[in-house]
Amino acid sequence: MAPEIFFKNISKKYPSGTEALKGVNLEVNKGELFSLLGPNGAGKSTLVKIATTLIKKDSGEFLIGERNPDHDPKSIRQYIGVALQDNELDPSENAESLLRFQGRLFGLSKAQAMQRADELIHTFEIDAERTKKSHTLSGGNKRRLHCALALVHKPRLLFLDEPTTGMDPEARDRFWQTISRLNKKEGVTVFLTTQYLEEADKHATQMAMIMEGAIRYVGSVKNFKQRVNAEKHGTLEESYLAYVKQTQEHEAMFV
Amino acid sequence: MKTSNTLLITRSILKLVKQPTAPVLGFIMSLFFLIVYNAGIGGIGYLDAFGEKGYLAFIFPITIISLAMGSSSGAGQTLYADMQSGYFRRMYLSPASRRMLVLAPMLADTLSSVFLTGMLLAIGVLFGLPFQFGLLSASGVLLLSMLWAITLCGFSAGVMLRTGKHQSAAIITNAVFPLLFLSTTFLPRELIISQWLISVSWANPVTYVLEANRYLLGGTASRELFLLGLLILTVTALTSSVFAFNSAGRIKV
Repeated sequence: MAPEIFFKNISKKYPSGTEALKGVNLEVNKGELFSLLGPNGAGKSTLVKIATTLIKKDSGEFLIGERNPDHDPKSIRQYIGVALQDNELDPSENAESLLRFQGRLFGLSKAQAMQRADELIHTFEIDAERTKKSHTLSGGNKRRLHCALALVHKPRLLFLDEPTTGMDPEARDRFWQTISRLNKKEGVTVFLTTQYLEEADKHATQMAMIMEGAIRYVGSVKNFKQRVNAEKHGTLEESYLAYVKQTQEHEAMFV
Repeated sequence: MKTSNTLLITRSILKLVKQPTAPVLGFIMSLFFLIVYNAGIGGIGYLDAFGEKGYLAFIFPITIISLAMGSSSGAGQTLYADMQSGYFRRMYLSPASRRMLVLAPMLADTLSSVFLTGMLLAIGVLFGLPFQFGLLSASGVLLLSMLWAITLCGFSAGVMLRTGKHQSAAIITNAVFPLLFLSTTFLPRELIISQWLISVSWANPVTYVLEANRYLLGGTASRELFLLGLLILTVTALTSSVFAFNSAGRIKV
């Protein structure tokens, strides 16, 4: 079976001179809940931006859902759902109109867009906020609406970049219930980057570790923890911190 | 037309209707020019250099030019607001045409400018504005107004997209403003004393926009000047649109 996400030797250098990605190779299978971990500035967001066709790679190849961004970027955008770090809401519109407009932009009919807006408002429990302008919503509700917008067209692949930032624990829990259901019951592939490592620990099965623009580990979360902390049965956060420390110490020896 | 294109254009028009500050100010400024100049110096229209149709037909084109100048920053400002809120990126991530994301606010601005030009023409009729070729003249003025509006809002949107600063959306207005005074805005060439001003006015594209309109209204300009004006405006509108489209590819998302 072809992978849902396929990166081969992806590189990206910004005009400032920063080499954000240095030949990234990565595959994510259909139906996985995959987490990309790494320190700030490691290249996580750049990789997500390239995969979602927001920015262009300098070199390498990649396929999303077997679609080639060089030939058909629009079909990739139709196939994926994206919730990036910052809320992307029109402050002068309300939740309902934003969801409906989003549905229409993705090709739903008026009736379908209305029905889908109702479903998502119910799923993300923002019924009481549906007619309030988005700039008046609380931080958590803005975030929920932001994530709901990514799901309007029922994408088969979901990119979540720090999706729960700003949500209270209860909202985070509800959010993950929704994402887990989509992943487990509907087979939606999820590509996650998060600073909340307990979320990755709890929900992701496969992961990759990226540092300084290069992939250092790809495999299961369980194996990563065993590899880093063989004797202890620690959390992903403990293993992550230990791995980063080990890598930095190892690299310092060669400087 | 594709549904997503229609949606984006409708959205831009509704945005302009909800926040009409720029076009309304442009309209008020134009009306002010029309009334004040006609009342203040309309008497010189009896001079031979203005032909038989008087000063109103001569001064009216300046109201059309100032109208688009006043409202051309609307597209840039709509784009800026969307980029500031992050909503532009959400639309950028949809399958909708990325060029249409830039074109839609430009079209909304242009439609608003043409609509308000129509209103100015109606007010002009009340003042006794002549039309050399009847309805054909009115249609021609609307066409010139459309091309002028596309020129201004395309450059305005493009500069804003490249710099990412909303102040730059109004930069085109500031750039065009001096050109008004280096042209045959208030007097025909025959009555301009300074030779350097006459020379500069020949090199000033605004002159040709004015003269093309004057051909259609009072008939004080030649057919050749009208055709030249139409050609210049078509070229500048196309250049401006290409500039805006290319700027869309340079957006930092």
